[in-house]
Amino acid sequence: MIVCVAVVGHQNNPLYIQSFTDADDALKLHHIVHCSLDVVDERVNNPKKSGPTLNETFLGLLYPTENYKVYGYLTNTKVKFILVTTDLDVRDADVRNFFRRFHAAYVDAVSNPFHVPGKKITSKTFAETVSTIVKSFGLSSAG
Amino acid sequence: MANFLAQFQTIKNSCDHLVIAVEDVSDLWPTIKNGFEERFPLKRAYLNNKTRNPVPVDNLPAVLILTTDARLRSRFPHEQYLFWFREPYATIVLITCEDLDEFKTILKPRLKLIVQNDEREWFIVFVSKAHPNNDQATKMAKKVYARLEVDFSSKKRERCCKFDLHRPEANFWEDLESKIVECIRNTLDKRVQFYEDEIRKLSEQRFMPESLAFMFEMAHLHEDALCEYDELELCYLETVNITGKQRDFGGVEHGDDQATLLNPGKKPLTQIVQDDSFREFEFRQYVFACQSRLLFKLNRPFEVASRGFSFIISFSKALTMHENILPFSMREIWVISACMDLIDATASNYNEGLAPLDIEKEFYRLQGDLYSLCRVKFLRLAYLIGYGTNMERSPVNSASLSMLPWPKPAVWPSVPPDASSKVLAKEKLILQETPAIKHFGIQRKPLPLEPSLLLREANRRRASLSAGNMLEISGSDAMSKMFPSHKAQTNSMTRTNSSPGLDSSIDRPMRLAEIYVAAEYALHSTISNPELWKSFSSVEEFEQKYLELTKGAADNYHRSWWKRHGVVLDGEIAAVYFKNGNFDLAAKSYEKVCALYAGEGWQDLLAEVLPNLAECQKILNDQAGYLSSCVRLLSLDKGLFLTKERQAFQSEVVRLAHSEMKQPVPLDVSSLITFSGNPGPPIELCDGDPGTLYVTVWSGFPDDITLDSLSLTLMATFQADEGVKALRSSTAIVLKPGRNTITLDLPPQKPGSYVLGVLTGQIGHLSFRSHSFSKGGPADSDDFMSYEKPTRPILKVFKSRPLVDLATAVSSALLINESQWVGIIVRPLNYSLKGAVLHIDTGPGLGIEESHVIEMESYADLTNGSTETVTNGALENGSSTVNKDFEQLTLHDGRIEFPDWASNMTSILWIPVRAISDKLARGSSSATPQRTNIVDGMRTVALKLEFGISHNQTFERHVYFLTLAVHFTDPFHVSTRVADKCHDGTLLLQVILHSEVKAALTIHDAWLDLQDGFVHADRGDGRPTSGFFPLVISPASKAGILFSIRLGKTDAEDASNVLESDSILNVRYGISGNRSVGAHPPVSTKHSATEDAKQDLVFQSALVLQRPVLDPCLAVGFLPLPSSGLRVGQLVTMKWRVERLKDFENEVPQHHDEVLYEVYANTDNWMIAGRKRGHVSLSAKQGSRIEISILCVPLVAGYVRPPQLGLPDVVEANISCNPPGPHLICVLPPALSSSFCIPLMMSASSSVFLRHSMRLAILALLSQTIEMQHGKYWRLICVKLVRLRFIRFLNQNVSGKQHL
Repeated sequence: MIVCVAVVGHQNNPLYIQSFTDADDALKLHHIVHCSLDVVDERVNNPKKSGPTLNETFLGLLYPTENYKVYGYLTNTKVKFILVTTDLDVRDADVRNFFRRFHAAYVDAVSNPFHVPGKKITSKTFAETVSTIVKSFGLSSAG
Repeated sequence: MANFLAQFQTIKNSCDHLVIAVEDVSDLWPTIKNGFEERFPLKRAYLNNKTRNPVPVDNLPAVLILTTDARLRSRFPHEQYLFWFREPYATIVLITCEDLDEFKTILKPRLKLIVQNDEREWFIVFVSKAHPNNDQATKMAKKVYARLEVDFSSKKRERCCKFDLHRPEANFWEDLESKIVECIRNTLDKRVQFYEDEIRKLSEQRFMPESLAFMFEMAHLHEDALCEYDELELCYLETVNITGKQRDFGGVEHGDDQATLLNPGKKPLTQIVQDDSFREFEFRQYVFACQSRLLFKLNRPFEVASRGFSFIISFSKALTMHENILPFSMREIWVISACMDLIDATASNYNEGLAPLDIEKEFYRLQGDLYSLCRVKFLRLAYLIGYGTNMERSPVNSASLSMLPWPKPAVWPSVPPDASSKVLAKEKLILQETPAIKHFGIQRKPLPLEPSLLLREANRRRASLSAGNMLEISGSDAMSKMFPSHKAQTNSMTRTNSSPGLDSSIDRPMRLAEIYVAAEYALHSTISNPELWKSFSSVEEFEQKYLELTKGAADNYHRSWWKRHGVVLDGEIAAVYFKNGNFDLAAKSYEKVCALYAGEGWQDLLAEVLPNLAECQKILNDQAGYLSSCVRLLSLDKGLFLTKERQAFQSEVVRLAHSEMKQPVPLDVSSLITFSGNPGPPIELCDGDPGTLYVTVWSGFPDDITLDSLSLTLMATFQADEGVKALRSSTAIVLKPGRNTITLDLPPQKPGSYVLGVLTGQIGHLSFRSHSFSKGGPADSDDFMSYEKPTRPILKVFKSRPLVDLATAVSSALLINESQWVGIIVRPLNYSLKGAVLHIDTGPGLGIEESHVIEMESYADLTNGSTETVTNGALENGSSTVNKDFEQLTLHDGRIEFPDWASNMTSILWIPVRAISDKLARGSSSATPQRTNIVDGMRTVALKLEFGISHNQTFERHVYFLTLAVHFTDPFHVSTRVADKCHDGTLLLQVILHSEVKAALTIHDAWLDLQDGFVHADRGDGRPTSGFFPLVISPASKAGILFSIRLGKTDAEDASNVLESDSILNVRYGISGNRSVGAHPPVSTKHSATEDAKQDLVFQSALVLQRPVLDPCLAVGFLPLPSSGLRVGQLVTMKWRVERLKDFENEVPQHHDEVLYEVYANTDNWMIAGRKRGHVSLSAKQGSRIEISILCVPLVAGYVRPPQLGLPDVVEANISCNPPGPHLICVLPPALSSSFCIPLMMSASSSVFLRHSMRLAILALLSQTIEMQHGKYWRLICVKLVRLRFIRFLNQNVSGKQHL
C-alpha cells in the first residue's frame, strides 16, 4: 500500500505531500520524505555511483528498510517525487509506471496558468488524480 | 559428507602454511636444513588464481617437512582430495652421489620410483659434498650431476639443481626458490582444476568451495578466497531454498542472541552440523565471519560494513521467518548485538582519510545506518518492557517504530508466577504517566510508536493459544486499559492481588503492566549479554544507551552525505537533554533542527520542533531567541496551529515587549508583518512638495497588535547609499489581523523614484523591523528563500521643472496715462495652484487702480491646444477667452488669492493699472523720423506667485518670481512735414498721425496750439474743417491733417501768455479696442460710464516747428570710394570735400580760416589711422574747398556704416550734405592670405602664442600699410616674416621697424 506521495521542489521544499494512512501520523511521513532527500541528494551529487542511471529520471529504491520502501523520481527541473510504500514486495516496473503517470499529472498541474511555479500545489484536480493513481497502483500487474 | 566437517574444521585450524615435502634420499637434511629453511617465507611468488591469471604474492609462508614425518605419513588416501590443501605442494628430492656407477645402479632406480607419482610436483637437489680443493671429487660430482640431468630433466622442464655444500653457487637459491614456486603453482593449478571439476560433479557437496577458498586463503590469495566464500554462501542459500526440506534453523541455544558474524571460531563446526547439513543460523554467520575476516585482511572495512548491513537485514528477515521457534524477541536482540559488533569492528579497522572521499562518506553513512538500526531495535525492546513513556513521540521515532511489527512469538510470554510486585510497580509507573504537555498549550495527538496496540497484540497472541476470549479485549475496552481510568485501575488491582499466577493470566487477557513484566522476564532469559541487559535495567540506563546509540548515529550521519538524518537525530538528542534539564545543549541542537526544516520549508515538521526550541530559550532567558522563535511560530502556516495557540504566541511577544528587557532586542518580523505600497501608479510629486503616503501593512498576528511607533524608509532607486529616508508615524497604530492601510506624512524628497525599504517600529520596548514586501497579501510562507522581489516604485519625485507659467496676455502696447487692463495669463503646468497667492508689485511709473476690482476668468489658449482647451466645453469659436469661469477679486496688501476653480486650468487675470508719464509726447519731422524710444513706454510688474501642495506653513511653498514688462504708449506718434511753402508765406503743415496701438482710434477733434513765431493762417482757431471728423484710424495706419500756418507774430493778447517754445497738437479721440488684443478704452471707475460713448480722450503732442534752413554755409561731400571695393584689412582712404558755400554770417566769429572736423566711426568696424579730430584750414573765401582724407581699415566684412565726418563748430542747419554720404558700404572678406591664418587651433595653454598671433595680425596690417607706401619689395619681406617662427619673427620685426 502506498502510504505517502510527495512532490519536492528543486530547493528541497515540499510542494505537495499527501499521506494515505488512516492514522493521524502524517508527520512521520513528512519525516520519511524529508530524510529521503538525503539519498536523492547523494545520488544526484555522486553521479559516479548512480552510473548508468545518470540520465534516468527514475531513481529507484532509496531506502531499503525493513518495514517500508521509499522510491524516488527526479524530473528534469529537479523536482523530486517521493513514494513511500509499506508494500515490501513491489515490482520496479509498477513503480516506474506509477511515477510516469504521476509525472504527467504533475505536469498538468503546474501547467495551470494560475499555478505559481515553486509554490505549493493546491489544485484539487491534481489531488484527485494522484489519489486515483495511488489507488490503481499495482493493480495493473495484479490483473 | 558433512561428517568430514568436524575434521575439516580442526584441519583448517591446524593448517596455516603450505607444505613442501622433502624426500631425503641420502640423509642430507640435517646438514642443509637450516640453510633451506632460512629461505622461507618466500619473498615474492607469482601464483595463478582461479582464472589462471598470475597474481603476485608477497611473503608466502611455507614449511618444509620430511616425507618421513608423521604429519605426512598419517594421512589416508581417501581424505586426500577433501583436505588436499594440506598435502605437500612440492617435493624436494635430496640426493648426493660420488660415483657414477652407484648412481646408475642404486640411486637412479630409487629416484625413478619416487618421482613416478605424477600427482606430485617434484624436483631434485643434487648436493655435492666434494671439497673445492679436491678436483677429483669435484669432477666426479659434476659427472654424476650431468648424468642426473640427462636422466630426469627434460626439455620442457628443468628438474635438477645442484647444491654445492662447501661453496654454494650464487644463483642456487634463486634457482631453488623459482623451482619451489613453480611446483607450488603447478600443484595449485592442478588442485584448483580438480576442485572445480569436483564441484561441478558434486554440486551437493558444498564444502568443496570452502576447501578451495581456504586453499586460496592459505596461499594468501585473499581475493580468490573471498570469491570462493561468496560462492559458498550463494550455493548454500540456493540449497537451503531449493531443497525445501525443513531443516533445523538453529539459534535456540543460550548465547545465540549474540551475533557471531565476526567470529568464525565462536562455535566449533561440529555443533552446527545437523542431519548431513548445516544449521542456517550458525552457518550463515560463520560464512560471513570468514568473509569479513578476509575483507579485514584486505583492508576493506568499508565492505565489511556494507556487506554486514545487508547481511543483518537479510538475516533479520530469516529470523523473522523462524521467529516462532526462536526465543522471545530473539531477532531484535540479535540485530542489536550484530550491529554493535559490526560497528566496533569496522570502526576499529577503519583508517580515516585513506579511502577516497565518497567511500569514506559512504562508510560513515553505513555506520550511521547500523547505529540507527540498532537504535530502533533497542527502542522496540525498551517499549516492550514499558519504557515507552520515556520515548519522544517524534516523527523520527514514529516513522521507525510505528511501521515495525511487534515480535511474533508463537506464544506471547506470560507473567511469571512471582512477579506480582513487579506488576504493581509497573502499574504505578503507568499511573504516573502523564501525557506529555506541549509548550504553549499546544495540543496534538501524539504520534504512534506502536504498529498496533500492544495490549491487543499480546493478548491476541496469548488468546490464540487458549480459548478465544477476544471479546473482552476489543475496541474501547482495550483503550481504557491502555490508559486506565481510575476505576478500572482499582478493579484490576484487586484482581491481581487476589489471583496472581499463570492460569489466571492465560484465562483472562493480560493487562498492560503484566505484558510489560512478562516481556521483561522473557527478554531477560533471551538476552545473554549482561551489558545489554543492564541497559534495560532502569530508565536511566535505558536513557544512557539510547543517547549513546542516537549520538552514534547522528555523528556518523553528520560525517556522511546524509546531513538531514544527522540533524534530525540531533533533535532526538536535544529532547533527552531537555528532559534532563540540559537546556543549553538542547537549545543548540533544536536550533540546528529548526534551521534545517525552516531552510527547506518543511513547516509541518518545523511546527513540531519550534515550540521545543522556544521553551528552551524561554527557560534559558534568551529573550532575543525566544522572541524570534515566537515570531517564527506566528509566521508559520496558519493551519498548523489553532487560533488559540497562535494567540498564545502573540501574547508572549507582547508580554516580553512590554516587560523590562535588559537590552532592547531588535526583532525581525519580516515573515509576519509585510508591507506594500498601494496598487496603481506611484504617487507623483514635484520636487520640494510634501505628500501623504498610503502603505498597506499586512499583519500576520492573530489578534490586534499595537505598534507604538512605526517608520518606513524610502529608498531611492537611483542611488543605494543616499536617499534613504525614514518616514515616521509617531502615533501608535493598531494593526488588525490582515490588511491595514496606514498613512504617513511625506516630507519633500529629492527628485527620483523611490521604493519602500524597511519597516521598523516599536512594540513596547521591542524594536522590530521588517523588510519583506508583499503583493498586498500575507507574507508568503513559501517564499522562504527569496527575499528579493521586484520592487515597484512607490513614489516618484520629479526633477525641478516649471510648474506654472505667467505671461502677459497682450503683447501690443497699452495706452499710457490711462487706466488699462493688464492681462496676466496664469498657466499651471500639470500642477495644482490650489490656494495660490499672487503678489503684485508694480514698478516705477505704474500704479494699480486699487479702486477697481481685479477680474479673473478662465482662458482657453487655442494656439497651444492644451488640454484645457479640449476639455472646456464652453469654448467659443474664434474667441480666445472663454467666460466659463469669471470672478472678481480684490487686492489685499498687494496679494490676490486664487479661487479654487482656477487651480488646474489656465486662467487670465485682469489687473487695472495706470502708467504715468509726465512727459509730453513729441512729434518729429518727417525728414528725420525719430520714433519715440520704446523704453520710455516700458513699465514693469513684479509678480510673485506662491503656490504648492503644502497648505500649512511647515514646508516652503513654491514661489514663482516674474517681472513682466508691459508696454505703454501714446495712441499716436506724430510727425510733421511742411507740405508746401506757398508764395504768400503760408506753410501747409501736414501732421501725420501714426497709430501706435492695435485698436481703432476715432479722432473727434484736433487743434494746434502754435509756438511763438507761428500763427494760424487765416486767423483761424487752428482746427481743420470739422467735416473731417470723426476720423477713424485703423491699427498701424496713418492719417494726415493739414494745418495752414504762416510765420508771424502772435497777437497782442497772445503776448500776455507765456511764450511757447513748442507747438502743441491736441487730438480728442476715442478708442475702441479689446483688452485681450491691446489698447482698449480706459477702465472707468464708474460702471455706468463704461458704456458712455462720449468718453473721449485727449492726446497732446509737442511739435517742434523750425524755421526753414535757407542759407547753408558749408557743403560736405563724400568722395567716391575706389571701385575695386573694400576688403577687410585693406587700407582705404576716406575722403570728404568741404566747400564753403558762402560766408558765415555771424555763427563762427573766430577762426575764419579754420574748420574743426571730427570723424565718427564705429571702432568695432573701423580702424582709423590718422587724426580723427582736428582743424583744417579753409579760407573764408566763398567757394574755397579742401579735402579731408583719412586712412581707414575695415575690420569686419559686410555692410557697415562708413565713418562720417562731422563739423562740430558749425550748426547743423548751416551744413548741407552734397553729395550725401552713403548709409552703408560693402566690405568684402579678406583675401586668402597667410598673414591672416591665425592659428586658433593651437593648444589653449599657449596664450603667449595667441598674443603673438594678435601681433601677427597687427603686423600684417602694418605690412600692408608699408606696401602701400613702399611697394612690392616690402610686401615680400613681410610675407616671409609672417611665415617665420615667432621668436625670430619678433626679432626681425624689431629690425624691420628700425629699418622703417
